[in-house]
Formats: sequence, C-alpha cells, structure tokens
Amino acid sequence: MAVCVAVIGKDNSPLYIGGVGNDTSTDNELSRQWLVHTALDALEERLATSNSNTTNSNTNNTRTDLRDLYLGLLYSTDTHKIYGYVTNTRIKLVLVTSSTSPSGSNIRDAEVRTALRRLHALYADAICNPFHLPGDQITSSKFDKQVKNLMLNNV
Amino acid sequence: MATHPSDFTDFPPEIILKPLALIGLSGLDALNNAVHKEIWDAFANNRRPDRAAVRFKLLNNTFEFPVVKPKRNSYEWYIPKGILKKNWIQKRITLIPAVVVLFYDMEWNDPQWNEKIIECASKVQSIRAAVEGHATRVAVVVIQSGQSPPPSEYMLGAERAQALCAACEIQSKSLFVLPHSDHLMGYIIRLENAFYDIAQNYYHHETKNIKQHRDHLNKTTHQYLFVRHQFKLGFLNELKQDLSTAHKHYMHAYNNLLETRTVDTNMHEVRTVAGFINYKLCKLLFALNLPRDSIAQLKSHIDRYKNRVGSTELLFEHYAWIARQYSAFGELFDEAIRAGLPGIQTQHPGFYYQYAAQFTVKRRQAMRSVCTEATKYPPLPDPLEGIVEYYGQRPWRPGRLSADPHDPQKEQAAVLALQYNERMYNHSAMIISFLGSAISQFKTFHSPRMRKQLVVEMANEYYYSADYGKALTLLSHMLWDYRREKWWYLASHVLNRALQCAYLSAKIQDYVQLSIEALSKFIQVPNKDKDRIFRNITAIMNVTVPQGEPDVPLHSHTKATEIWRSAIEKEPFLLNVDMVNISSFLEVKPKFKQQRYRMDEIIEVEIYVRLTYETVLEGVKAFLTISSATETIEIPITQDGSTTISLESSKVKRFLCHFKPNPLDNGSELHIKNISFILGSDKKRKIAMNFKIEDNKTLDSTVHPELLHFILSPKADFEFDSIVPLTMASITSRECKLSMSVQNSSPALQGEWFPTTISIVNNEDRPVYDVRFTLGLLSSPDNPNPESVTELSLKEGESQPQPINMTAGTINKSSEHSLLFYLKTNRTATATVQIKISYFIDLPEISKLECIKDFTTKITVIKPFEISTNFVTMNFKSISKCFVDDPFIVMPQIKILSPWNLLIVDTELEMVDCFKYSDNTKPPSCISGLEVAEKNIASDAICIQAKYKPKDTPTRVGLYNIKWKRKSDSSGLCVMSSTALSPLPIDECPIAVEVNYPEVVEVQTSVPLKCTLVGKSNTPIRLSLTVEGTDFYMFSGYKKLTVTVPPNDRVELCYNIHPLLTGNTTPPRLQATVLGDNANQEIVKEMFDKIFPQNIFVMPKYNK
Repeated sequence: MAVCVAVIGKDNSPLYIGGVGNDTSTDNELSRQWLVHTALDALEERLATSNSNTTNSNTNNTRTDLRDLYLGLLYSTDTHKIYGYVTNTRIKLVLVTSSTSPSGSNIRDAEVRTALRRLHALYADAICNPFHLPGDQITSSKFDKQVKNLMLNNV
Repeated sequence: MATHPSDFTDFPPEIILKPLALIGLSGLDALNNAVHKEIWDAFANNRRPDRAAVRFKLLNNTFEFPVVKPKRNSYEWYIPKGILKKNWIQKRITLIPAVVVLFYDMEWNDPQWNEKIIECASKVQSIRAAVEGHATRVAVVVIQSGQSPPPSEYMLGAERAQALCAACEIQSKSLFVLPHSDHLMGYIIRLENAFYDIAQNYYHHETKNIKQHRDHLNKTTHQYLFVRHQFKLGFLNELKQDLSTAHKHYMHAYNNLLETRTVDTNMHEVRTVAGFINYKLCKLLFALNLPRDSIAQLKSHIDRYKNRVGSTELLFEHYAWIARQYSAFGELFDEAIRAGLPGIQTQHPGFYYQYAAQFTVKRRQAMRSVCTEATKYPPLPDPLEGIVEYYGQRPWRPGRLSADPHDPQKEQAAVLALQYNERMYNHSAMIISFLGSAISQFKTFHSPRMRKQLVVEMANEYYYSADYGKALTLLSHMLWDYRREKWWYLASHVLNRALQCAYLSAKIQDYVQLSIEALSKFIQVPNKDKDRIFRNITAIMNVTVPQGEPDVPLHSHTKATEIWRSAIEKEPFLLNVDMVNISSFLEVKPKFKQQRYRMDEIIEVEIYVRLTYETVLEGVKAFLTISSATETIEIPITQDGSTTISLESSKVKRFLCHFKPNPLDNGSELHIKNISFILGSDKKRKIAMNFKIEDNKTLDSTVHPELLHFILSPKADFEFDSIVPLTMASITSRECKLSMSVQNSSPALQGEWFPTTISIVNNEDRPVYDVRFTLGLLSSPDNPNPESVTELSLKEGESQPQPINMTAGTINKSSEHSLLFYLKTNRTATATVQIKISYFIDLPEISKLECIKDFTTKITVIKPFEISTNFVTMNFKSISKCFVDDPFIVMPQIKILSPWNLLIVDTELEMVDCFKYSDNTKPPSCISGLEVAEKNIASDAICIQAKYKPKDTPTRVGLYNIKWKRKSDSSGLCVMSSTALSPLPIDECPIAVEVNYPEVVEVQTSVPLKCTLVGKSNTPIRLSLTVEGTDFYMFSGYKKLTVTVPPNDRVELCYNIHPLLTGNTTPPRLQATVLGDNANQEIVKEMFDKIFPQNIFVMPKYNK
C-alpha cells in the first residue's frame, strides 16, 4: 500500500523516513525526502487553519483536544498520494501511497486512517524506550521492521 | 503573463488572442481630418473591458478583401489535405470584417444635397463591389455638425434619410447619424453597440452556412472536415461572444479529432490541433467560471495523448508538446486567478509550470537518447524550408495524407534537421523559466518547502548549463533552511552540489566554507570521502590547487583547473568563515568561570573545544574577543604557554584565558563576542573560523546531556555536552576593608535633632586616600518618602540638602575617622541612613583602584509624649460643651513616653479666634521647669472662655505648644512640639446666670444664696421662675415669680437657705421657663441646671 512513511518532529526535523521500493538508491531516497519535506507545507497549512478556526471561538477549546488526529489526504501528485496525521504533541506522521500501482490508487481512506493510527502506536512504543532521546532520529531496528511490515501488510 | 522561451510548440498568436468581432471603418481620414481622427480615437483607443467585444479596423480606399473561393456543391470527390488551415483564423480576425461602416460628412440641409447623396451612394456601391462574395454587412454613418436643426426641418431630415437609404440600398436601421458635438463618447458607445449587434447577426449567418456543409460529409474520407467545421463553428461563436455554444462546438471538434486514425506521419498535426482545441476549451471553461471542468479537461487531454508518442526518432517533440500543454494551461490558470478566481495551496498554476519543467527535463533526456548522431545540419536544400498550409504539418511533405513516406531520403534529412535543432536548443533556459514561474506561484500559495525544492532544481539546471555562480548563490540560500530544519539528507545533497559549483567556479571563500561544513558529522558526502575534502582545505592553505570534486562535467573540470591556477595565488589570503550558522567539525563552548568578578580578581574564561572530524589540527592560533562597556579586547588562547594550539579529534580540549579587568569597567558587564580559530597560521593562506556569539541568542534547550549520555557506555565528551556556556559576566568593585561603628542614644525622639557618631576604621594593609562620604536616607516599606519628613545635618538645628557629601582625605592604616551628624524627623518610624564610603587605594597589581562600600544604620524614632485633653468647669466638673462668656478650664495631660528623662521648659496654649483667656493677661504655665520621667503624667490647666459662637464648630480648641529638651542635654536647644487639642462645642444662651453660694455650710445655719440673671441678648426676656425645694433645706424668698431680664442688665434674686440635715445635700434649685419665645427654652433650662449646685456639703454643728 504505502511506499513511504515518515515521522517528523514538532520542529519539523525528520525523525524517521522509511520507504519500501525495489531500489534503495540515492535518487530514490532523495525523491522520498523531497516528497515528505514538501508535504510539510500542506500539513502546516492544515494545522494553521484548524488552529485559527478554533481560536476564533474560545468555547471550542475542548474541541481542539478532541479534533481528529488524522488529517486525511494532504494532496496528490501524478504519481503519489500523501496523507497526514498529527499527534497531540505535534509529531507529524506522513504516509505516501503510489497512485500508479493498483493497490495504492484504490486505497480507501479508512485503511489509511487505520495504518496511521497503528504507526502512531508504533511510534509511541518506540519513544518509550528509555534509551531513546526525545527529538532524536529513531534508529530502532525493531521500529523500522514494524513500520516496513505495516507498509507491506496493507498491500 | 510570464514569457517562456519559445520553440516549435508555441501557440500561434491567433490562437491565444481573444476573438473579437471585426468591424471595418471606411471613409474616415484620420490623418488629415481632425474630426475624423477624434472619432477614430474614440473608437479604437482606451478600450476598457466593459465595452463591446469588437475590434475596429480602419479601411482605406485600397483595402482588398480576400477572394472568395467558389462554392462547393458536393464534397464527394473532395479529400481534405489537412485539418486546420493556417490562414483561416487570420482572415477572420483581420481581413474579413463582419460589418463595413462608411462614414460620410453630410448635413440634412446641405445646399448640394443631390450631389452628396450621389457621392455617398457611389461609395457604398464601391464597398459592395469590394466585399463581393462575402456576406459582410454594410452600414452608413452620417457625420453631422451636431447643431440641432430648426423644428421646421425635422421632416426634411426624415425624408432625406429615407432618400439616402434608398439611394444606397441599405435598410433604415443600417443608417446612423453621428452628431459631432460635446457628447461624442456617448454616441460612439451607442454606435459601437449597434455595430456589434450587426456583427453578431453576421457571424450567426456564417455559422448557418457552415452547418449546411455537414450533410455532404461522410466519416470515411472527411473526418478532418468534421474537425475543421466544428472548430470553425466554435471560433465563429467565440467571435459572436457566445461562449457556451463555442465550447460545445470545440468539444465536438475535439471528440471528432480523437476519432481520427493517427499514424506517425500525421501524429504531429493531430496533436498540434488537439493542443489548440484543448487550449480553447480550457480557456472557455475558465471564462465560464468552471475552473474544475477546465482542470479535468486538461487532465483527460494529457491522459489521452500521453501515449500517442509518434515517431520514436522525434520522441522529444512529444515531451515538448506535453510541456507546452502544461505551461499554456498554467498561464491560463494564472490569468484566471488574476481575474478573481481563488487559488488554493493544492491547486494553483505552480503545479502546471512544475509539470512543464518536468516534461522539459524528459524532453532533454529524450534528446540525449535519440539525437546523439545529429552532429550537423543536413546539407542543402534545407528540408525544413517550405510553406505549410495547415497547422502541424511538415514542410517536407505538405498536404499528404498517406502514411508511407513518399521520399525516404528527404524524410531522413528532415528528421536529422529536427534532431540537430533540438540538440542545439537550450533546454535549461526553458526549464529555468518554467521553474521560475512555478517558484513564484508556490510562494504565493504558502508552500515554502515546495518552493525550496524547485529552487534547488533550478540551481541544478544552472549547474547543467554551466552557470555555476548563479547555482551557488541559490544553493547557499537554500542550504540555510534545510540546515535549520535539520533535514540533513537534503542539506547534504544541496551542500554537495554547492561544493561542486564552488569548485567549478573557483570561489575560494565559498569553497572553503562549504568544505568546512561538509566535514560536519551531519553531512554525508559522496563516496564517504571526507578525507579528500580535508586535504583540499589543506591544499588551499598551502596555495595549491585542490583536487577536483567527483562527478563534475569533464569540460568544466579542465576549465576550472585553469581558473584555480590563476585564483589560488591571489587575494584573499585570510578567509573568514562565520561558524555560527553552519554545522561544522569544530564545536566551541566558552564559559566565564564566575558570573561575577571583583575588580581585584583575575577574570578567567574557560574554552572547551571539540573536534568531531578524525584528524589532528596543528598550529592553530586562537583568539578570544571580549567586549566591555569601554573597549573590546582580543586575548590569545594559549596552550602550555605557546600561542599555537593543537586539536585532536574525539577529545575535548579545555583552554583557560585570564586577564585583568580594566579599572574603567567597574560595574559594567563583560561579553564574549567572538572566538576565532586560525587554521594554517604558519601557512600562506589562513582560514579564520569565527564563532561569533550573539548577546540575545537563546541557548539551545533541546540538548539534554544527562539524557544524551543515558547509555551503557558513556562517551568521553559527556563533559562537553553538559557545559552550559556563560558568555556574560559582570564586574563589581573590590571588596572594601573598612569597618564602621555607630554610636548614638537611640531611640530618637520625634522632633529632636538626634546626634549620631560614626567611626570608620581602616582595616586595609595600606593607607587609603581621597575618602568620601555620602549620607543619604533610604526609603523602606513603612517609610516610603523619608526625604519629605526627615532632615539630616552636620550641624545641630540647621537642615542641609540631602545627600550630604563630605571628604575625609587620607586615612592611614588601622587609624580611625569619626563623623557626627544629626537627624531630625517628624514621623515616628524607623529612619534608615545610608553611609556610602568611597576611596582609592594603591594595590600592587592595580594602582588607584576605587573601592566603594555602603553602610546603613537604622534609627528608631518614637514620640516623646502623648497629650490628651480634658475640659472641666470652674469647679472641675467635666463638661462636653461650653457657653459663650462662660469660663471653663482646659487641662492638657502630658503622658511621657520617652525612656529618657525630659525637662518641660514651657507650655503655652495657642487658641483659635473664638476663645480667649478668662484672665486679662496670659497666665504663666503651671508646669514650666518640670522634670519628668517615663510614664509620668504632667497636667496643665488653663482657664479660657468662648468669645462668641462661630458659624461652624471649630475643629480644635487650639494648639498646645510644649517646649522641651532632654534632661541630659545641656546645650540649651529646646524642641517645640505642638499638639492640636480636641474641639469643644460652643453654645449661646440669652441669659447668663451666676449663683453665689457657699460650698460648705453648717447645719441649722442660714446662709444667703444669691442668683444673678444677666440679659445677654438685645431683647428683654421674661422668665417664670419656681423654686424646687428639698427636704434638706428650708428657704426664704419668692417661691414662684415672673421676672423680666432687660437686655444687658441684671436682675438679682436673693434667698436664704437653711439646711436641716448634715451630709451631702441637694440645695433648693431655681427652675426657669421662658415666657413667650420657646426657642431658647431648652438652653435656658440647661444653663440653670448647670449653674445651680447639685451638692452642698452640710457640716454638723460643733458645740464649742
């Protein structure tokens, strides 16, 4: 399903970028990073608008907390679709599917939502490691394996 | 609209131009006739969008209309040679007007009317002859002077107009009169709209004609004509400004074109025309405010033609065509947004420009794969020369429909020519142009990161086109952002490219800076070859040409080597690199050892340096720059006494700098401004790595050393990470070694000049000189404004302005200096006195060092006594009010609070106006010269009486002044304390009563009791008096009588009373009732009650 999954910190620095693909060449890694990095534009815009909406009405403070963490489809290009998810601590999760492959183009929104929720859980598990330094890149091989699994399992 | 470099895929201008109904104006001599020129300008100039969608063309006499082709009755044997003729649109928009308007100057009452009408008719006839075959309409405008004709000639005008219509063979609605007067513009707009109506009529007629052809067509041979006719219908409807119908016809044309069979030979033509029609469709959809449909149309268009590649030898043409579709759409979208369509972050023109750029990149790739052999242009005759009648057809085989190439040699030469042209084409310029448009769009639509990516792509494009300088500029700007967001992978990519650019353009400064950053642990370099980069830095310091970067174009590389050879020997020989903003292989943390230094201390700065790159740096010189309020100093960092230091990787080095503070900087702050490391200090070219420290830079709080090193094997540089830099320290003055003692007899009493002696002892080991004292008062919470109530002085009894300064000159070692000052305060609160001592001392290290010390001493101030007042009658009975002219006694009671014995020197009552002393002279004080101790109470007594009843009850009886001093004080200066005594209400009585009676009588002895009534008012007062007898007394005199008390005169009543019993008795009392006026009743009664005795003591009688 997914060709790339990324975890981005609250200061917009990349914490983890994982991709499945036939090749792991530099070009592929580069394009993946560009893709995720540019997705931050759309993510930030979404967050900014949802924030300004809630600040307009102070009574909706509780709604801010309850807002859906899943942001849905951020945007799509000819080749990829990019979905976003933001945790309460402003950790951004990005999932990229390929629109050219049949499994990626026919994906349903609910599937992506589930996948991102699971990714959120995996991320939470990974940073529970006392030896992990918050804000650092996630280097855990277990996390990597689980995320790769997540990407492939949904194919 | 952005202009992009043109190529063969450009849309011809007639496609891009918005079609407007063409109207020919004839008979206007705009050159020679001022009136005509004005009319022409009004038509043709300043056309605002709200005016009718028409275009005017000035026709001169020699204008020729295109020849009409003979009408075809049957299409049976007709085979079209192409889809769209190139000249058809041109003819419609410039050559065949929908209406030709003849302007003619003529007044209805013209004397030569008959000649005029004939001339006009002949002109119309000649126009008719010229347009022969076209359905172009003819209209006549008569230009008149604009003066309204006399009413009698109304009929004449109508008649003559009719005559003119008849002569010219035009309908009356095609005849217009243009009065040339004030409101020319209004007439012109009305005329314009009338012409527009006629033009619409004409285009409608034309569409009908074309529609008629359809019946003659069949799908097998005339597929092209289906497209052509529908296109023409669409275009005519566009001229008519019927946009939705135009869209419908274009859509038919587009669909018909899809049905045509495409082979390699006609592929180019089909997609060219498809591109035109798609362009028209998208444009119309935007104009109809259907932007989503427009986007969908483009998407499906690209999808349909994406795979219709055509000849593989000309693959680049396909990509060029797709790129053009996208860029043209981008321009349309951009135009629509300018016209008010809202764009959003995920759907705006930038994406289409980006696609255009991407496909241009593909075009270049295709060119590289297919055009490698096209090294030179084919020999003459030029296969690309020739006139092409149809859009998208090839010049070397015009009008041929058959799929097989009729002349393989010519075909080959032509392909070669196209390939050669493509090879020579500057793709980079086009890509850069598209990217530039995209970048500005992404910037507008809040996508800074997308923009950055495109900028990097643009920089890459500059790199490919060997414009390394521009590429480097772009990349170094972008590097900053990626570095800041810690996208190190992307930053590495950008950095490596920038390094290549810097190398190829031989920019030493940039090259060194980028190389230094490349050695950072965050940056990945190709082939993991950081050693090469380090060697290159060393090479530059040694003034040798660095080794080339990998993967650079070969020809640029040779050129770069040459530039390097000439540049390496030249300036600059000192390269300054600002290290704060880049990540590098050197980390520095400076730290003042203390936050605060005293003047006589040596200031120490610790500098921790960590080298993260695996090397040993030798011969490094380092400087620390410190700035203070007065100066900026540079201190060399030393290692074992040597000014050159060496740094090793994975070791944290600690250096210590120390320096003496400048005496002028007392009380100011020191800042570490910069730490610079100079690499290659022994080499010809030096690199200065400057770590500038901003004052307001917030510390990086994300580093948690304890977490960073919460691992099984602690790293050696734990220490480095835990160091918190301290870049600021303050300088305070040297500690003062004087001691002070205070002598006084506290507490001070309110109001007195209270002496205090301070003694300063010099505990320094050498004399101090130029000693200065400053006395001042400090405010405290319970005494916020001490200056307003407290005075300080060096001399008793004289106040001096605060603060008081004095000098004491030199004080020798261990000697003492005393100082006496006085304090006087009017508030019973603690007064805090600050004694500031400043002096100079010569120390072995620093001469003339100023030392300052503040001492404070607190002085409690209390009240010396408290005064309460009693008011009593002459017989010492307490009263709560007094009557006018009725004397009473004021008894101030002085309760001593002072712990010190006091001497009351004198007292005095200073009364308010309405009182006076009852005695004629001021009585002496009863308690003058009295000595009192703590808790004693001294009572004074002064007899006074009220003079009159004031309007308002006075707030006090008067001021009670006490002159006093401490008993121990022999100087004779007294303190005067004044206290306000509490008020006493004053009342007025119309009569005064005096009673004379003995205080003590013997039993059984008659005594007189005389009562005198004195009239106080200006009127006589009649009183009814009764005597209230008691059991204790017998009495003689009137028991009940009525008296009249005359004004200011007196009445005496005499009684004898005879006590019968002993003891404290109540004598008989007179009761008075005022007759007549009742207002004074109460007061008279009160007066009588007060005056008559309550008690008389009756003694028993002794028998002697």
